[in-house]
Amino acid sequence: MSSSSKASGAGPVVLDRARSRFPQPSVRPRTDARTGAGIDLLRLALWLVCAAVVLLPLGAIVVLAFSANHLPLLLEGDVLQAGLNSMVSAVLSATLAVAAGTALALLLDRTDLRGRKALRLFALTPLLVPPFVGAIAWISIAGPTGPANVAWTTWFGGPLWNIYGGDGVVFLLAIHSYPVVYIIVSAALRRIPTDLEQAARISGASAVRAVRTITLPLLRPAMLSAFTLVAVGNLADFGIPSIIGLPERYVTLSTLIYRYIQSGTVESPLEVISTIGVVLLLIAAAAMVIDVLVSRSRFELDASSSAVQLLPLGVARLPLTMATWLGVLVITLLPLCALLSQALLPAPGVPLTWQNLTLDNIVRATSAPSTLTGAMNSVMLSVLAGLICGVLGLAIGTVVTRTRARSNTALKTLAMLPQAIPGLVIAVGWLIIAPRIGLFNTPWLILCAYVMAFIAIVVQSVSAPLKATPMTAEEAARISGATRLRALFDISWRMAVPAAIAGSILVVLTAVRELTISVLLLAPGAQTLGVNIFSLQQAGAYNAASALSLIITLVGLAGLGLAARRAR
Amino acid sequence: MSSVTLTDVGLVYPDGTVGLENINLAIADGEFVALVGPSGSGKTTLLRAIAGFLTPTAGSIRLDDTLVADRSTLVAPEKRGLGMVFQQHAVWPHWSVERNIAYPLVLARVPRAERTQRVAEVMQLVGLTGFEQRNPATLSGGQRQRVALARAIVGRPRVLLLDEALSALDEPLRDSLRLELQSLTRSIGLTVVHVTHDREEALALADRVVVLDGGRIQQVGSPVELVTRPVTAEVARFLSDATIFPGDRDRNGFVATDHPCAVPAHLLDVGSGADALSGAGMIAVLPEDITLEPGTGAPTDAVVASSLYGRASNDIVVTWQGISVRCRVPGRRYLVGETVVVGIRRAMFYDAARALVELVETR
Repeated sequence: MSSSSKASGAGPVVLDRARSRFPQPSVRPRTDARTGAGIDLLRLALWLVCAAVVLLPLGAIVVLAFSANHLPLLLEGDVLQAGLNSMVSAVLSATLAVAAGTALALLLDRTDLRGRKALRLFALTPLLVPPFVGAIAWISIAGPTGPANVAWTTWFGGPLWNIYGGDGVVFLLAIHSYPVVYIIVSAALRRIPTDLEQAARISGASAVRAVRTITLPLLRPAMLSAFTLVAVGNLADFGIPSIIGLPERYVTLSTLIYRYIQSGTVESPLEVISTIGVVLLLIAAAAMVIDVLVSRSRFELDASSSAVQLLPLGVARLPLTMATWLGVLVITLLPLCALLSQALLPAPGVPLTWQNLTLDNIVRATSAPSTLTGAMNSVMLSVLAGLICGVLGLAIGTVVTRTRARSNTALKTLAMLPQAIPGLVIAVGWLIIAPRIGLFNTPWLILCAYVMAFIAIVVQSVSAPLKATPMTAEEAARISGATRLRALFDISWRMAVPAAIAGSILVVLTAVRELTISVLLLAPGAQTLGVNIFSLQQAGAYNAASALSLIITLVGLAGLGLAARRAR
Repeated sequence: MSSVTLTDVGLVYPDGTVGLENINLAIADGEFVALVGPSGSGKTTLLRAIAGFLTPTAGSIRLDDTLVADRSTLVAPEKRGLGMVFQQHAVWPHWSVERNIAYPLVLARVPRAERTQRVAEVMQLVGLTGFEQRNPATLSGGQRQRVALARAIVGRPRVLLLDEALSALDEPLRDSLRLELQSLTRSIGLTVVHVTHDREEALALADRVVVLDGGRIQQVGSPVELVTRPVTAEVARFLSDATIFPGDRDRNGFVATDHPCAVPAHLLDVGSGADALSGAGMIAVLPEDITLEPGTGAPTDAVVASSLYGRASNDIVVTWQGISVRCRVPGRRYLVGETVVVGIRRAMFYDAARALVELVETR
């Protein structure tokens, strides 16, 4: 080969490039028109399903609320007091949870604290324990007959701290929401390069000062969005206030609504409830707006090339390690131990000795016919909800992240909306439309509400990894000859399936222990496991309730452990 | 401005990986030293040990006469009085440019009036005047790196540490900042330790270059020394892409083992250490010391494997009887697939026995 043959060899390359520019457009519009229709049909179908599952119940609430003016009732003593209690407990518990979650994220992700991995697992367990189970467990620790209070009473004539009442509600809500804060803040923390802190150190700032002036201000948006998420969730939690608050007459909106539905103390309860629901909706909407505004002000951070460098704690390492371990173990392991001892004892207050231990509670709780139907119902409903949410979430998640359309943002917002809406409101919405769609007093109503409440979990888990994958993946498929719909199926869906499965498993595990929705949509023969435990607790069968709680918690932990292993 | 003295510095990570081993290095006041080496060679580890983010497990580090790290002492990074520029600039996104640059002065409790004046001075020095109130997110990569540089020098640091400071920038920008960096640091007489994986950059900027590999110093010297007389064949290969031929040397010259390569004695550079006239060893040949002639059709001819155009000379790789030879030859550009005759103008001989002795000594 000579240099002249090389020069002529370079010619065709230029020609190729020129040729490819012209004939291409004559082919492409035809393909686009054909496959574009497929995508549009898919998008239309998703819109219809979303509208039916999300917009319909919400619309029903709003319509019913404005059908008659019940606003004066809202300002009446009962509702106003319950509303105030809900607000105060939600804000206080969210503040505590953000403080604890952020401190934990800094300690576990940025310092050389001993045993961080194990500590992280322990610290996250309250996430897996249903709140009402936590409440049942903590009653046996810090209730009036709890060992600490009994001992304190015999020494000093009064209990140390009685968990019943408003402070107990705040405490338990905080315990069950700090793991969520930890997850959000630690994800944000991972995006802050340690270079930024090291640059402050080199500039002369001490470690504490670097955290205060650099890290915390950069974490503020994440902390704020965690706060709104947690506060809205806690605003309408049912299990904790009903188990911990009611005995001390600490009434919140959720327990008030439950009473209205159960015992008809007011006229036209549904209208009153939907008015309350609209107020809650407005609060949720305000929180969402705040969240959007905050995320807009988020700082632009570059990915760091250097590995995260852990801050040596020096002399503070041992005391901090011990304090953190002690705190986390008290919050996580102690309730499980309490549940265990409660489950093995014949009645509350019976001293814990070998002779007194019995398996009766566990046997009775698991063999009771109501438990069996409850378990069957819960498993069936949650698996169905997981399947429906999985398929629907996969379709929505891929369509909104991997295609370009103006309506994508709206579709995603619609699918994510229920996450910001208290479960209470969702249940009320379905309760209102139930007679019209012929699902009144059937378990399918609960299924509909589950799908609405948990679809966001799958959409979220599907779209997050997809967003990180460049669009070139589909473009490469198109270049290889795939149509748009085909590329969406072959590339986007396939890429997202593992995430969708993980999301579905999370839906199943959340739904199987759900209480707020199930208790409000309770129908004959449609009792769920959560409602079972709740009724046992209300009926005073504390040890049987503990036994069932223990089983449901351990099964849930095992299930999530398996899911986590599978995901890896 | 200060000197940096490292004595027998070693660093073993908790998982047992050796980060640094037996580092002895004295950086003089006002000197510009570049640390180069392949990735994982310990250059960033060494820089971070000087900064105080990593603690040596052996030896000591001094800034001037102050001991900052050894077995019992550890001065925190913020108390060492250093300036540092990171690869990803690490400009704080929640503060304006001015506040970013002023931060070290705020921490040093410099009075407000003096602070404003000094910030204005360095901003002019790095060419950012007028950008005071800008949000860092609105700056280009080069401007952000200038902010980082201004922040690193505003506190009049004893030593300026540069951790791949230019590596994240695009080629033309990197080139112009390289020029600015040199004139800036020379004009204020800063002591600079510059870590880079870019060999040309290290040779271009530094008074002295330190070549690291496997956590050890392979060679320290001026750029000219390093290029013309690398102490080992490995350094020659890393720094200059030299080709290595194993073989034997006698009074007539060098003959490669199982290979047509042979170099007469008068073209062999044997260094000062190799006193024996014969023995096994290897030669390293710099790409510039190779000549190419059109092939003769003899079985010993080499074949061109790749041919890149260069401004001064073309960068050509030929496969010569199983050995890839990197050549930088001016003149005609040989094309891929052509046969050529390889000639060697100068080769550096490394005695295998002596290399072995050195290896035993350092272990």
